[in-house]
Amino acid sequence: MRAGSAEAGSEATDLLLSVAEQLKIPLSTIARQAELGRMTGTVCLDDVAAIRVQADAALTLVESYLLGLELLREQTSLLLEPVSVSSMLADIAHDLYRYARQYGVELELHIAGKYEPVMAHPRGLRAVLLSLGYTLIEARAAQEGDKRRPVLTLASHRSAHGIIAGLYGEYSDLHAAQWHRALELCGRARQPFAALSAGSAAGLFVADTILQAMDTRLRVGRYLKQSGLGMTLSPSQQLSFV
Amino acid sequence: MYTVLLIESNTLQAAIYTKALTHGGFKVIHVTGAQTAINAADQHIPDIVVLELQLPQHSGIEFLHEFRSYPEWQRIPVMMLTNVPMSSLESIEQPLRRDLGVTCMLYKPRTSLELLVRRTREQLRIL
Repeated sequence: MRAGSAEAGSEATDLLLSVAEQLKIPLSTIARQAELGRMTGTVCLDDVAAIRVQADAALTLVESYLLGLELLREQTSLLLEPVSVSSMLADIAHDLYRYARQYGVELELHIAGKYEPVMAHPRGLRAVLLSLGYTLIEARAAQEGDKRRPVLTLASHRSAHGIIAGLYGEYSDLHAAQWHRALELCGRARQPFAALSAGSAAGLFVADTILQAMDTRLRVGRYLKQSGLGMTLSPSQQLSFV
Repeated sequence: MYTVLLIESNTLQAAIYTKALTHGGFKVIHVTGAQTAINAADQHIPDIVVLELQLPQHSGIEFLHEFRSYPEWQRIPVMMLTNVPMSSLESIEQPLRRDLGVTCMLYKPRTSLELLVRRTREQLRIL
């Protein structure tokens, strides 16, 4: 049991406020993009693609939020099954590609290690990684003082506690304490995680809510001198013996 | 041609505002954060600043304090174009206008591109 019903209700409200705040961005981008075509008298395929990508991001956030809300209400854990982190990260990189391109961010995939499957809920893990990806791509594009093309790395690596899947980049001043503070400020501050995001960073809180139902949490971590957010997943013992 | 310093962390939205302002006859310099905004203003003094309050790391208010501390930048009009609703800014509206020289406040979700260009022209007294 993760929380009492009153606490879960309060968490759900905070999450809703955070998501509503975040949705302003893709929705106003879509509205302004449509207006721009009318204003300049030129609508090109890139403009239509930008609208589609923003709409997809908004829909993903809503769907992930609904999954998170369902889990908060039911107070249950997700049924976990063996999942290949490498192939999941490859799928996510593919799904995030167009969004990253819109923001001028290059995605790198580091899944070279041969890791055993991990115990996860496939739909939940997918929602977590997508939500994380959308937030970190926006944040990576907004980083100051970087003249090079920004890069976001999707990586899996082993730790003493299991297999870590995460997204990493050259984010300055990213520390665990800031993330813990952000969790307290979710839905109560406009910029709960100001070190990383100019917005409400709702995707991160939604991801963390879903992860709690998989008995893990979102954590600040480092990978190859980059910092980012990731989660520790337990290897599937059953398949290790095969 | 008048120069607009656009301080907006969302690069996709910034591209849209840049296109609209360019279409409206302005030259636009876009930066994503407060520190690079100061550097950009130092290199090329803008005629007007369009500022989002919510920026990563240093906020728009921190930028304003720094920006207004330089005598040569004190008369440059600053328009706020922000995701923060005006109702949430009521308590700080007077200090923003009086002490930090914010000349116009716009709520981003409710501000059309046409209105943004019109307000920019008004601030610069372009008929």
